[in-house]
Formats: sequence, structure tokens, C-alpha cells
Amino acid sequence: MSAMPQPPVRRERLENGLTVVVASRPGVPLAAVRLLVRAGSSLDPAGRFGLAHLVAAAVRRGTRSRSGARVDAEVEALGAELGAGVDEDAASIGLTAPLEHLPRLLAVLADVATRPAFPAAEVAKLRAREVAALAHDLDEPGVVADRATIMAAYGAHPYGHPSEGRGKHLAAVRRADLLAFHARHWRPSRATLLVVGPVDAEATLDLVRRHLGGWRGAAGGEVEIVPPAPQPSGVVLVDRPDLTQVQLRIAAPGFARGAGDHAAGVVAGAVLGGGFTSRLMEAIRVERGLSYGVRARFASGRSGGLFFVSSFTKVESAGELARVALDELHRFREGGPTEEELGRVRGFLGGLYPLSLETHEAWAEKLAEVELYGLPQDEVATFLARVGAVDAEACRAVARRYLPGERRVVVAVGPAKALRPQLEPLGPVRVLKAQAVM
Amino acid sequence: MTRPATPAARVIDLDAVRASTLPNGLRLRVLREAGSPTVSYATFFQVGSRNERPGTTGISHLFEHMMFNGAAKYGPKEFDRVLEARGGHSNAYTSNDLTVYYEDFAASALATVVDLESDRMRSLRIDDGALEQEREVVKEERRLRTDNSVFGLMEEQLESLVFQAHPYRWPVIGWMDDIQRISRADCEAFFRSAYAPSNAAVYVVGDVEPEAVERLVGEAYGDIPAGPPPAPVPAGEPEQRGERRAEIRFPAQAPALLMGWRAPAARDADTAALDLAQVCLATGESSRLRRTLVHGSGLAVSINASFGWRIDPGVFMIFAELAPGARPARVEAAVAAELGRLAARGPSAAELRRARALLRSAVLHELGTHHGLAHALGQAEGLLGDWREAGRQLEHYAAVSAADVRRVVARWLAPERRSVVTLVPEGGR
Repeated sequence: MSAMPQPPVRRERLENGLTVVVASRPGVPLAAVRLLVRAGSSLDPAGRFGLAHLVAAAVRRGTRSRSGARVDAEVEALGAELGAGVDEDAASIGLTAPLEHLPRLLAVLADVATRPAFPAAEVAKLRAREVAALAHDLDEPGVVADRATIMAAYGAHPYGHPSEGRGKHLAAVRRADLLAFHARHWRPSRATLLVVGPVDAEATLDLVRRHLGGWRGAAGGEVEIVPPAPQPSGVVLVDRPDLTQVQLRIAAPGFARGAGDHAAGVVAGAVLGGGFTSRLMEAIRVERGLSYGVRARFASGRSGGLFFVSSFTKVESAGELARVALDELHRFREGGPTEEELGRVRGFLGGLYPLSLETHEAWAEKLAEVELYGLPQDEVATFLARVGAVDAEACRAVARRYLPGERRVVVAVGPAKALRPQLEPLGPVRVLKAQAVM
Repeated sequence: MTRPATPAARVIDLDAVRASTLPNGLRLRVLREAGSPTVSYATFFQVGSRNERPGTTGISHLFEHMMFNGAAKYGPKEFDRVLEARGGHSNAYTSNDLTVYYEDFAASALATVVDLESDRMRSLRIDDGALEQEREVVKEERRLRTDNSVFGLMEEQLESLVFQAHPYRWPVIGWMDDIQRISRADCEAFFRSAYAPSNAAVYVVGDVEPEAVERLVGEAYGDIPAGPPPAPVPAGEPEQRGERRAEIRFPAQAPALLMGWRAPAARDADTAALDLAQVCLATGESSRLRRTLVHGSGLAVSINASFGWRIDPGVFMIFAELAPGARPARVEAAVAAELGRLAARGPSAAELRRARALLRSAVLHELGTHHGLAHALGQAEGLLGDWREAGRQLEHYAAVSAADVRRVVARWLAPERRSVVTLVPEGGR
């Protein structure tokens, strides 16, 4: 296998604490620009779930010198679209800039991130829109299942609410909440600015220093989120009497992204639920035609994570699907992977890794992960060697420790009446209305 | 001021594409792009739901699933096992017009991929067990994407309004009843006609030696016999003389609105101008419809326009998710007013520059990966008859004037030519 080209990466910490990462690589004349701030939904205050999300969405709705409409118009006239989002650990705003417009687009991005005005009228409209968007989410059974899984698997931990927030909480957010959250958490010392593309590293660093070197953040202690505690096992049914297909999830506590278990977890996840030849895909789709798809993997944040299985099937097969999946997990905990599976998965991951890093955007995401999770700077260079070193015993160990066994939550979205008898054998059942996960 | 985006720049060096055709009719196009040590290998069959008949709708898509169930050399389950072990992954998709199989993989696996793909084109096994299993999988896929999806239900309804005669009137996945009915004999006949090398093209982009690819492909596919020419498609469609409407009652939290217009075929000279109209209307937050309906009145939570090019005249769609309690009629009126303004006055010069700049970024982005390049070549040849068109999009966009945009909006997106599907939330839960 040919070696994967590694772009030269310049990493610098500015005086104000902002980390800047510039990777110069050949390719299409666009540059991926991301500002990552450790201001994710795990910092949402009580009663204000969704505040971090709202802040990330609201910064672009107006700054001290630009209206929201002007930000949109200016960015889009240059052929870029500004995006914003949050997960449990971080907020990010970014765009893909035509190379010749990078200086102007970086200026707008810096303005939006560091000098948002949160105009009252814009905040009110945005808040109403986000609440309405949740209503449409409620019409997506897969989204409802994911929300219910997060809530059941993390409980009262700061990871235990969906990043998009909850309807009632969002409706209660005031402009002052946005201002306070931004001032407290959007600080250069908690942020990384990444630029990836066919750029000149020195010139780009100069540009970033010019636009973001003057960013001053409030002083204050660092906030760290404690690791999540295991939640009670059981079955959660989200009642949707009208559905003809059930969305099913099985989850158990996993590990934080920076933990030593990561490489073994990637391999175990691939054997069980990656690609078309995984054990779960074989058992559920190929052998039984129970579903169109099934995924399983470790999902890890800064402070902790989950192992989850995700699939769907017609209502009358929900019990069988859950049983087959749990049996496969049990078999893997007991026996681990075969040598043939290990070899195949190493080949698979070895080929996929360069494919997953083909674009400037993908590199920006990967380098952002390195910063967010505090990974070693040689994360990308050594990834395949670490995966290659995972043996059957390491896989079995990670499986025994984390795969859902006795400790697990099972979540199903569909007609509760038909689901209860099928899933009752798996643990105490709790029935929720769909609105309860909003 | 904004510098104009380099308008006429060719985005791919098409002189570097090596094109050839085997004696059995298989077309091969190879582009060496050594940026990363990967290859994308795409096989395009010139068949989709457009080539189907009532009673066996969905056979193109169901058959796509059958292609992963083993052939003479590589038996059941072998295809993905061999490919994944060599550092690749594979998938496929079916559209109204085309069925496409692709592998993205580490460059060292090229010979294996050629062997795998030629094996199934030559000697696919079609047995009852595999058919029954894939039938169930496809029914789950239909339940996922259509029967339990608000947008899926609405889109299916819209296409059956926009088209009354043309095969585009049924969904690519097929009607549930037909999925149940398709027989092994149907599949065998389908394979013989639609999957012959004379109905296919292979696109190889990445870290490869073009001469070596030609040799490998020639040796592997050369002995597969050509097939009969495909049957002509009954592509006629009566003229629409007035608005068509449908309502879907479904347990949902909030209303939604989907509007559609029968749009020009991919080869029509008006497609580039309609692409620009689409961007003016609903790409980006400063687009007309987002500004008015999302950021202005707040009647819509989201609004999008899409115009997927098809071999025969397709659909231009506008889809809006409404705020709970908002009246679809008001959103409809606002969209109609905006279309009316665009049809009367056209876009401003700045708006046209903006649309070109956004499309340029989108095209560059698509062509930034081996996968994107292979598919752009295949889509251009499959829909327009010439892979060279993949590199000409930006030239076409540069040639569009404000008057062109005004004209195509007036011609294609007129109120009396529209079809409207409204989602009416029903029932408590």
C-alpha cells in the first residue's frame, strides 16, 4: 500500500491563547476554514438545554458592524456558505473559501465569532425557528430514536440531552443568556482556528494573526465535564402508533475519545458493525433480510462515550432484530474476532483511512479532532500502525469491558402496544410519548 | 468589489482522459489523478426506473441489490469480503435513468476490483434464496425512505402528479405491490438486456496508469458478449394545462409543502439557466426564498429548491417545512410572488454573480475527489451523451444572462404548470 501523503502542518499558539493550525496541501483551489470552540452542549445550564446550539447559530445573525443579512450576503457573494453547529463538546463555525477570497471570508468569520451582537429581533426569530425545527424532528423516527437513546444512556449527565436542545428550554432562552454564554465560553484560549488547502502557511498565519490576534476573552476557570456514570438498564418505548417500521437502538457506556481503548474499539466496531461484511450486517440483513441496514460503533466525546447499535425493521420483527443483535454482541464478547476477520478489517481500515482524508474539509475535521480531544500531533501518521497492532485479545478485552451485556438500554420507536410483548423479555419497560423526548 | 469568479476556466483537464471502447461495446474512460493513493472505479449501466413497465416497477433498484449476491468466480458474500480485505468499499445507487456501482479503494487493489466487477457482469448468479432475502431488505428500505417519511410520501405523490404517462410517474424504489411481485424470471431477463457490456461504461479515476487499466479491463471484460439494443422508452407526456394538487394526511407535528414543475431534459439549452435560478431562489441564506420565508416572515423553518437533471424532462421542486400552525396557502402565495418577480424582472447583476460563484465552488468541491470526478464523468455521459460535458459546466453557467434566467423562470415555473402537494398534520399522539 502506498504511503498516505501528509500535508505539512503549522501549529501555533497566539498570545491570546488561540491555537492556529494551517495545513498546506495541493488540490482544488478552495480552503476549508473552521473555528472550533470548546463551547458544546455539555455546558448548557440547567433549564436551558439547547443554549450552546442557539449561540452557535446566533453569532452569524449580526455583529457590531454587520447585520445578519449582510453577513449572509457578503459570504455568499464570494461563493461560500457559512455553516455552524455544536456537539456535546464543541461549537464550530466554518466555510469553504474560494482561495482568492480567503482574506475577506476570514475577516467575516472572525467578526461573527468574536463580535456578535445578538440583535433582539434576530434572536427571537431564530429561537422560534429552532423550536419549530424540533417539531419537524419529531416527525423523523430515526431522530426521535437517537434523542431517546442519548437521554436514556447518559441520564442526568451533561451529555444526557441532545445538542439541539429541548423545546421548552429553547423557548425560555433570553438574549441575556446568549450574551452570558458567549462571553464565558467563546474565548480564544478555548478555541482553535484551522485552515486547510493549497495555501501559503506563512501568509495564512499572518492573516489569522491580523483578524483574530486581537480577540480578548474573559478570564475565568476552565470547565471540565466529569465522566458519565452508568445508567439503569431497561427498555424505552417511544410510542408512535402510526409507524409501520420500528427504529431500534441498543447502547451501553463506552470510553472517552482520548482513552487508550480507541484503536481496539475501532477494530471491534468494524468487525461488528462496519462495512457490508460485518457480523451484524451478515446476521441481520444478509442472513435474515430483517433490515436494510445496521450500524454499530463506539461514539466517543471528550469526557466519555457510548457503544451503540442502530437499525430498523418492520413492527412485527422488532423483538427478533433486538435478540439477533444482542446474541451477536454476546458471541463477540465471548470469542472476540477471528484471525480472518482481523486481517480483513485491517485491510478495510487501511484502505478507508486515506479515502476518508481526500478533501480539505476532511483534513480540517481530523485536525480539529486532534485539538479537541487532546490527541498526539502524530495521530494521523500513526493511526494505521496502531490499528494494525490490535490483536484478537485486545479486541476481546475491549468487547468484554464495553459491549452491551447486562448493562444496556434498548430504545424502540414505534407502536408501543405491539412492541411491548416483543421487547419485555429484555428488561423493565418504560413507555414515553414522542413529545417527551422533545 | 468582488472579483468575478474565473468564469470560463475548465475545471478538469479533459485532454488527460483516455477514452476507448471494447469490441463488445463496453466504454472505458480513465483519468490519472495521483493526488492521493486511491482509485474510484464506477460502472454505469444505462438503465433506471425510466426503462421499467407497470407491474414490475422497482426492478432496476431491486436488481441492484442482486448484484452483490455472488457470481461464477466470487460466490455469495465474497464480493465485499474480498474488496474490504484489500482496502476498499463498494456501494451502488439507482436513479430514474441510471444504475451505478462503485468501488473506492487503495490503488494496490485495482486488479482485484477489475476481476470482481467483470465476474459479476459476465456470470451473475440469480437464485430464489437471494431474491427473497433482497425483496425483504428492499421492502424495509421502502418503509424507511417512503412509507414512514414525510418527505418520501410527498415526493412520491408529487411525481405522480407531474407525470401522467412517462415512467417517471412511479418511484425508483417501485410500488410495494410490484416489489412483492417481481420474479426470478423477470430478474434473469432484466440482467440479459440491461447489464450487457454494450449498455455500460466504466470510469476509473485516481492513482493509476491508464495503459495498464486499458489492458486489465480489455482482458477481463473482452469475452462478455454484447447484448441487444435497449428497448425504446415511451417518453411521451401530455401537456399540462393547469395546476394539479394533492393532499397527504399523516400524523405529523407540522405542515409541509412541496411544489413541482415539469422541467427541461438534461440536454435542453435551458438547464444551465434553471440551475442559476435555483441558486437565486433557495441556495444560501441570502437567497430570495430563505430571506423572505425563513428569515423574514418565519412561515417556513426551511426551504430548498432542487433540479436534478434527467434524460427526459424531469422536475424542478421547491420544498418547505412550515412552522407549526403556519398556513400552507400563505407560503404558496409567497413562493408564487417571488417566482413572479424573477420571471418579470430577472436577477440583478450581483445576484447572478453570486449564483455563479456558489455554483463554481460546488463544482470544484465535487471534482475535488476521485469519487466525485468518476461520477461527474459518468453522469455527464449517461445523461448528456458525452463525458466531456463534466468539464464544461462552468462555461455554460458563464454564458447565462439575467434575461435567460428571467425567460426560463417564466417558461418553466409558471403557476399554471405547477403541481402542489400539501402535508396536513392529522391525529394526536
